[in-house]
Amino acid sequence: MANKVKNDYIDIDSVRLRKMSDGQIIKRLFIYVKPFIKQLIFAIIMVLLLVGLDILAPLLFAEVINQLSADQINEQTFTNIIIIVGIYFLTMIVSAILSYKQTMLLQKTGQKIIFKIREDTFNHIETLSTAQFNKVPVGKLVTRVTSDTNTLNSLYTDVIVNLFRNSLTIVAVFFTMLFLDIELTAYICIVVPFVFIASFVFRKYARLVYRRIRYHISGINAFLSEHLSGMRIIQIFNRETFKLNQFKQKNNDLYKSNYFQTFINAIYRPLMYFLYAIALVLVLWIGGKKAMVGALEIGILFAFTDYIRRFFNPIEDLAEQFDVLQSSFISGERIFEILDTLPEIVNAPDAIELTEVKGEIEFRNVWFAYLGEDWILKDVSFIVKSKQTMAFVGATGSGKTTIMSLIVRNYDIQKGEILVDGINIKKIKIESLRSKVGQMLQDVFLFSGTVESNIRMGNDSLVESDIIEAAKYVNADRFIERLPEKYQELVRERGNNFSAGERQLLSFARTVLRKPSIMILDEATANIDTETEELIQESLKKMMNIGTMIIVAHRLSTIQHVNNIAVMQKGKIVEIGNHQHLLKLKGLYYNLYQLQYDKATRKEVKEINI
Amino acid sequence: MIFGKHINHFYWKYALSFLLGIVALAIVDYLQLIIPDIIGGIIDGVETNTLTDEILLEFVFRVLLLAVAIVIGRFLWRIFIFGVSRKIDRDLRNDLFAHSEKLSERYYQENKTGGLMAYFTNDLEAVRQSFAIGTIMVFDVLFLGGLAFYKMFLLDWGLTLIATIPLIMISLFAAFIGRITRKKFKARQQAFENMSDFTQENFYGIGVIKAFVNEVKEIRSFKVINADNYDKNVAFIKAATMMHVAIEVFITLIRIIIIGIGGYLVYKTVGLADGDPNRFSVGQLATYISYFATMVWPMMAIGRLINLRSQAKASMDRLGAFLDQEVEIVDGEDTIKVTHVEGNIVFNNLSFSYPGSRDEVLKNINFSIKKGETVGIIGRTGSGKTTLVDLLLRLYNLKENQILVDGNDIMKLPIKTIREAIGYVPQDNFIFSDSVKNNIAFAKDEVSFNQIVDMAEKSDVAENIDQFPEKYETIVGERGVTLSGGQKQRISIARALLKDPEILIMDDSFSAVDTKTEESILSSIKELRKDRTTIIIAHRISTIKDADKIALIEDGAIVASGTHDELMKQSPLYNDMVLRQQLEEAIEGGVTDGE
Repeated sequence: MANKVKNDYIDIDSVRLRKMSDGQIIKRLFIYVKPFIKQLIFAIIMVLLLVGLDILAPLLFAEVINQLSADQINEQTFTNIIIIVGIYFLTMIVSAILSYKQTMLLQKTGQKIIFKIREDTFNHIETLSTAQFNKVPVGKLVTRVTSDTNTLNSLYTDVIVNLFRNSLTIVAVFFTMLFLDIELTAYICIVVPFVFIASFVFRKYARLVYRRIRYHISGINAFLSEHLSGMRIIQIFNRETFKLNQFKQKNNDLYKSNYFQTFINAIYRPLMYFLYAIALVLVLWIGGKKAMVGALEIGILFAFTDYIRRFFNPIEDLAEQFDVLQSSFISGERIFEILDTLPEIVNAPDAIELTEVKGEIEFRNVWFAYLGEDWILKDVSFIVKSKQTMAFVGATGSGKTTIMSLIVRNYDIQKGEILVDGINIKKIKIESLRSKVGQMLQDVFLFSGTVESNIRMGNDSLVESDIIEAAKYVNADRFIERLPEKYQELVRERGNNFSAGERQLLSFARTVLRKPSIMILDEATANIDTETEELIQESLKKMMNIGTMIIVAHRLSTIQHVNNIAVMQKGKIVEIGNHQHLLKLKGLYYNLYQLQYDKATRKEVKEINI
Repeated sequence: MIFGKHINHFYWKYALSFLLGIVALAIVDYLQLIIPDIIGGIIDGVETNTLTDEILLEFVFRVLLLAVAIVIGRFLWRIFIFGVSRKIDRDLRNDLFAHSEKLSERYYQENKTGGLMAYFTNDLEAVRQSFAIGTIMVFDVLFLGGLAFYKMFLLDWGLTLIATIPLIMISLFAAFIGRITRKKFKARQQAFENMSDFTQENFYGIGVIKAFVNEVKEIRSFKVINADNYDKNVAFIKAATMMHVAIEVFITLIRIIIIGIGGYLVYKTVGLADGDPNRFSVGQLATYISYFATMVWPMMAIGRLINLRSQAKASMDRLGAFLDQEVEIVDGEDTIKVTHVEGNIVFNNLSFSYPGSRDEVLKNINFSIKKGETVGIIGRTGSGKTTLVDLLLRLYNLKENQILVDGNDIMKLPIKTIREAIGYVPQDNFIFSDSVKNNIAFAKDEVSFNQIVDMAEKSDVAENIDQFPEKYETIVGERGVTLSGGQKQRISIARALLKDPEILIMDDSFSAVDTKTEESILSSIKELRKDRTTIIIAHRISTIKDADKIALIEDGAIVASGTHDELMKQSPLYNDMVLRQQLEEAIEGGVTDGE
């Protein structure tokens, strides 16, 4: 495939400079939230109610304390307590139900949102062209679909909910305290500014150290990834100690940042506790004095000690949401980046479907480059008539495989035209074009499943006999029948448990099953045992009768049966004709023939019948 | 907290920090539980009208002092225990890397980098958390929970006993639901793995999928997997939420019991005198409620602790397995103490198959190289050339006396000595993401800049480097300038040459380089390598034509050896190769070094 393009490997994650602002990401994410806005509002209402019920508990306690501190304690007191206990019990039940329902609603909604984002991401990636796939490591694409969507989920379910709950709690608690005793609340408010200042400063440092940590982590990961792959070289050059020291240094840098983060937290949390303690002290002092003179009910005093805790905790929580928020945004940006990448090969608006395909292929003055003007094909022209076979030969890099890729529009050409049955392929619907062309690529990729599923390739309208027939046609049945599970034999690790020859036969089988009018074969160069080699050659002969065939050939035996041979050198067709004709030319083909195809015989060329 | 062979020593190493942290935690917990006493005292004081400004001031002041002490204590245990966990994280990561350096070629063939990375990231983090928050939770549960419970018991044992009933129920319930939650968790993880596997296979095989126009089918298949993930996630969340809510209900129940029965007790004993031990005052009730409030966090922590522990254990098992991975290539006990290698090599009836395979890659190789000789090894792809040098580099273990270096069995020589004596230019030209300078100077600690430039010139790459943006400081590789194949190769050569080794091995080092450049480099090498052994593996006859000795390898065996002229006369296979390559040259017009 496009080996040249692989050099443009973009490590898009190592230097993650945020291009999208927080606001932009939120806007994009909101589009996914919109369909569920009703559920979210409902969940928020439930959170509101829960917060309200939460606030109730200290009041109930307070009332009990009040009752028991009254001057007159009698049976009425006890009845009151029973009533309060009853109310508390009820609120417990209601809270539990609300809490469960609210969490489930929110989480389920979050999951539905992820489902949609995942679906969109996967579906979109499927539409990208092969060239676009080659630019990014598969692993990174997979992360987009799997982990990044997960991280986004925590944005909805954890961060946003906590944001609401915490903010609501702070407001609710504040107003409750105000309602209960304005003076005490005023004193508590003295402490509040300090809380905000501390949280603000903390957030600044937290952000700083977070960035530093992420920087070091990705540095270490890049180091590890590279050095684990290159461990061989490190060992051969005896540089284990040297590299270990390098690693230790990077590791130590990470440790220092981590330690700094620990340090910041070690100051922040206790500091917040101290501010809470000050508020407590104020409440006890002022409140105590008021209670002494009866200006404040004891129960309320007690309730305040509870409320200040409920006031301070959410503020601390809010300040610490930062980490989760950041990684969610990063994940969001990664996903949107992919979604925004337009597929390079698209159908023209007036593209047509192919119906009956005769299978005539023509290249007219085709120029093609993967990058810029680095021409791989230079003014290539040829015609393969219906049901004819054409083989392409030439040195590596001469452009043979590229021609195969272009026929099925894996890439678009820069100049010239490619025509199937006289129609420019750019005017044909891609799906229609590809469904009529059977592609047998050099490195046969098999999917996890069985031999049968790999021949069937998802076509459920076929029955088992169809599969077996196809296998028999291409001589694949022989080795399949020898397998322990025959057609149900498991395919593992992309087919590594089968030999190169066997994989070639399987690719033949799955291709002929679709009854293609045009076939493209990029012959395997790997060593194939003689027996399988014979089977392959036999089935090739048969397949040539099915339709038009274009082969990138490496074998003498293959070439000898084709109708026409095109010899390529550095992107141009330099000789074209049939085998005998080309030999007579005593040109490039003649030399190539001697060079590569005479290996088996090692005879001099003049001994071959011309 | 978890224990294991590879981490127990950390508890010893950082014992002081751990101890100090735990002591600080204990003190903080103890002091924390005094505050409820004071609040209760104030409430009682107000209720009985015995509170004065002075007493109140004293109470309040005491709270302030406690707060200060608690703040200091909290800071300290955070620094000690979380700080130590970071140290352990660093140490363990170092251990992992150090061990990875010892593992053999065979291990790296079988285990891909991607999987190994997980050890350094996810698994390490899980273990670290158990040292950090895990330790805190264990001791908080013990101290805070235990002390609070004890004080509650002292205050009123009857009430405490009754309150314990829901407590026990929580534990039983948690254990029960916990099992279910774990199962659902595993199911969720499995669904996620399935999705990853499917997606990965799909993207790897996208060429075939597009060829068969199966995109729509794949999208449908993905939908099923996506939906499965939804289901498994929701199932897990259901179980986890159920657990969470149930625990909250139980806790609230305990609170209800406290105010109910506690309130009743206050009501009942209201008539008793202040000092009467049977009296349960309203202040005491307040104190009791506060004690319980401090117990809530430790109780919730238990559930989290269990989860954390099982995750950490699983991760530690994986890390342990990695660290226990046998070091295969290591000096034996009977290693001969050799520090210098001359460069005489004898392949003595060498036969070799890769570990785990029965195919013989090398068959009865008999070949010797004298010190100072330049030897060419030529053969087709897969004939066994690279394997031969891999063995010389001790990347695999051999049977006795199959390779002799300076007369000694290579298996008995110190690995470091052998590798130190060999300069290697690998086939894949692996370059690090580092500056050109550091790449060339890779083999040595101290190297002068002139030496680097000198080697670059000898490898015919100095001109190219001078055109790079930062010249020798230019970062190359993943994070920098992308080098062409030829440039990488020549830098690789410079790297090996700089080492000035007794034995130089060049594995297919000229494949991306045109014949002219090849000639120039080869003549530099000839000069540099006078009286030193050089082994050149090549495809092109032109590369090794002038070697002192050439070995032709086919299918793992040496089929012919001798000088170029001798081989031309004696070996038809060799002749054939020469002819073919001459033709190749004519056809391709020479390979140009792509830039």
